[in-house]
Amino acid sequence: MSSGFASRLYRGEANLNIVGRRKLWFMVAGGVMLVSLLSLFIIQFTLGIEFKGGNEFQIPTKVGSLSQVEQAVDEAVHRANPGVGDIHAGQQIGQGASGVYSIRTPQLDDEQTKAVHNEIVGKFGLDTNEVSDSRVSSSWGKGVTDQALISLLVFLAAVTVYLILRFELRMAAAAVASLLFDLVVTAGVYTMSGFEVTPSTVIGFLTILGFALYDVVVVFDKVQENTRGITGSSTQTYAEATNLALNQTFMRSINTSLVALLPVGGLLFIGAGLLGAGTLKDLGLVLFIGMGVAVYSSLFFATPVLVWLKERDPAIMNHTRRVLTRRTAAAKARSEAAKAGAEGTSAPVQKKVAETVAPKAGAKPVRPSRPGGQPARSGGGRSGGGRSGGKKR
Amino acid sequence: MVWFSGPSKAGWEDRLHPRLGLDLVGGTRVTLTAVTKDGNPPNAGDMEQARQIIQTRVDARGVSEAQVVIEGNDKIVISVASRADDAIKDVGQASRLFFRKVIKITDGGEPAAAAPTPSAAPSAPAAPQASATPTPQASGGGGSAAQPSATPSPTASAAPAATPSPTAPAARADKRILTEDELRKKVGDQPWEAAKALTAPPTDQPTIDLLKPFSTLGEEFEVAGLSPEMQFNVPWITCVKLNKRIPGAIQDPAQRAVACQGNSKMYMDVAKVAGTDISNAAPQIDQQTGQRVVSFDLTGPGQNKWTDLTREAYNNSGDPKCDQTALGDQQRCLVAVVLDNFIVSAPEIQGVLTSSSQITGKFTPQEAKQLADNLKFGALSVSFDEAEHKTVTATLGAEYLRAGLLAAGIGMLLVIIYSFFYYRLLGSVIFLSLILSGVLTFGMLVFLGKVMGFTLTLAGIAGFIVSLGVAADSFVIYFERLKDEIREGRQPKSAVQRAWQRARRTILTANAISLMAAAILTIFSSGPVAGFAFALGIATLLDLIVVFLFRYPIMAMFANTPAFLSPRVSGLGRVMREAKETN
Repeated sequence: MSSGFASRLYRGEANLNIVGRRKLWFMVAGGVMLVSLLSLFIIQFTLGIEFKGGNEFQIPTKVGSLSQVEQAVDEAVHRANPGVGDIHAGQQIGQGASGVYSIRTPQLDDEQTKAVHNEIVGKFGLDTNEVSDSRVSSSWGKGVTDQALISLLVFLAAVTVYLILRFELRMAAAAVASLLFDLVVTAGVYTMSGFEVTPSTVIGFLTILGFALYDVVVVFDKVQENTRGITGSSTQTYAEATNLALNQTFMRSINTSLVALLPVGGLLFIGAGLLGAGTLKDLGLVLFIGMGVAVYSSLFFATPVLVWLKERDPAIMNHTRRVLTRRTAAAKARSEAAKAGAEGTSAPVQKKVAETVAPKAGAKPVRPSRPGGQPARSGGGRSGGGRSGGKKR
Repeated sequence: MVWFSGPSKAGWEDRLHPRLGLDLVGGTRVTLTAVTKDGNPPNAGDMEQARQIIQTRVDARGVSEAQVVIEGNDKIVISVASRADDAIKDVGQASRLFFRKVIKITDGGEPAAAAPTPSAAPSAPAAPQASATPTPQASGGGGSAAQPSATPSPTASAAPAATPSPTAPAARADKRILTEDELRKKVGDQPWEAAKALTAPPTDQPTIDLLKPFSTLGEEFEVAGLSPEMQFNVPWITCVKLNKRIPGAIQDPAQRAVACQGNSKMYMDVAKVAGTDISNAAPQIDQQTGQRVVSFDLTGPGQNKWTDLTREAYNNSGDPKCDQTALGDQQRCLVAVVLDNFIVSAPEIQGVLTSSSQITGKFTPQEAKQLADNLKFGALSVSFDEAEHKTVTATLGAEYLRAGLLAAGIGMLLVIIYSFFYYRLLGSVIFLSLILSGVLTFGMLVFLGKVMGFTLTLAGIAGFIVSLGVAADSFVIYFERLKDEIREGRQPKSAVQRAWQRARRTILTANAISLMAAAILTIFSSGPVAGFAFALGIATLLDLIVVFLFRYPIMAMFANTPAFLSPRVSGLGRVMREAKETN
């Protein structure tokens, strides 16, 4: 009952070797990053009316309902300039006879504006001067964007300091690297979707800031717990301890992500897709991509980066070498013991010992099994074996 | 799904509800039209700068999610969700502030009507003599009979004159200030020459009668075209008329200017200190007088200029000297605080001022705050005509709101189903906490809407619902910890305790980061970003409150019930069985 993969995953015993394959993950991340950057530079953001400005047409309300007017303007705009983005939902300004519908469209040049103007006039049988058109500036000034970018930088600096205090330098670096990865990839994928950037997009994007680090913190917390005082023992390398932490938090990450993504998915697919509340789609999309990428990066990017950085730390480097040396020594000892056994030199007793101890990295039977001598080598094996006995299930 | 459908359907007309944004309920659209002296549209750079300053002003007035755009090349359109126009009244005011030394003062009332009255007394109808002027003599030099002037009390009187006064549209056929030649043609050569020759307001009736044609000049563009000296010396140019000059008529600091305080017409020197020299301003109550004042700090160079100006006024040195008519009680010069076309106050300078100072005036609390804000955020280099207000309907409206809420509700329902499936009975803790968070968040939105005008757009609503999903994450962290502990063979009671201690650290770290993001965005950003970040920060705090004050106690309670351990109900049963097997 408890031996299926899902069940092992659930218990954190699935032994997914994520850290070990970090080259693969780096390649995947590098590829995704490259594609995102390319898309950012080549496709670029399609900025909405709020950022770029546009045109406004005012049409008297007597011509009919708002949706009729919206449809007419939309058609006219797309006839004048097929490549242009969507028009904005219209509004009625004022009431009664002087009431007008105001409809904002993406930026049109003078000729296109005239064409749209004429088409609307013709369609509703109005006088030319009954429809007014004017250029509308952006409502989201450069200042707002600049300030948002400044706050992003301040946040990155502050969160780095916080993570250094709370964890340590390398963990902070890995976490911030994964946050940057999230942001770049989210932006890149968003450009690829071809959706317009609206204020909602920016707000959604900034919402990700807090969330993207949530999962990373969860995983790193466990990593910190598993690797506390790791250099004091020689049973596990840093990479292995980290991988174990990843496995132990795997289900947790999946669960938190699912719980956070479900409402966003609802927003995106039901709200924007089925019910047609179009303004929700940009927010829904940016959140969905951002949170999805955050889940991926906390598991497959942040932790491998952490291990990669850690392996540059001399203390960890030494420790890893020590663990591996001991392990190869043990393995060598084992195989030689086996060989010795096969040669029939000495006793089944020793062979049995070798077998029982085999799964642990320690190796007791070294000394007796080497009849040929080289006692110097066996010293390391012994001491290692002694300590490995301490490991319990 | 449960928590918001109630208030969203039934409540929002009659009961407590959050303030909804422009996109959902519509609002007011205010159009400001730029006016310029030459009738040409202002340049695009100035318009964009004006747009940004107006945006800042609107935001500072607690109207969030206001949209400010430039329409065409001379209009600024402000759309806000509130229906009350007061909130954004006067945001188009240029707020160009200058400090000018007052050189001469005369009565700004209508001179006694024409010939029939032989009396030479230019007494104005409204008690010009009533003033308690300590002026010892008539005056020196040319200003012989400027006597009837109502010298302003040193502490100011005129209301800050915030409103660009309404103008008669009829007089605006040609929207530019007339040149001197054109004006000369209008009033006739003789009166023009007579006016030009004046060095002080005339006292003899024939001259006054001769100048009569000046009374026919239109206020907005014609009076404003006269030289400051003529505006001052011709008695027919009354304060009523001067107050109706086009906005921005006296905004050149390098020229002398005439403006009124109450009914006193003041002839003022070039502006030696300007609003741009002010680094910070705040409304305050003067400790001694109990009057509302706007205190201000000056920039480094501004402080020097201010010190120089006050020294000049205090010693009546400088060129030109103040006229006798323009000296205060203690024989010191007055310095007028001129805001756009109006004098806010003209106090007598009681000493050389070397530090921050105050502007006195009869301010209401709102006016004081508004003046301070306007000084702080900078003046507009473009002047705007009276605002035009119109209501606008929602761009999205109720059906979109319902669609969004329904979609998010379905998403939340999925979360709840998932948590019941995965955590069984513990799912109910998640469920209850989500309801609690939802109610608290909703309450907070209502509160913020009332207190600081926080308005919710559709995107904002979506964002909050998402934040609730993120809040549910902390449960997963805790429950998974709990499973770990039980798997290690702990009894439920102690497991609840231990898991809480460990999960708490993780949850606090993660939430601290969210809070940090919210705080930094609130402080360093502006407009919609700051508003949204602020509210999201509060939502995170509420999540922490729910986690600490609700979830932990309820889990401790659960740990005492037998159902908690039953595999069918709690989702922990399997873990416990496994724990038994392995140990």
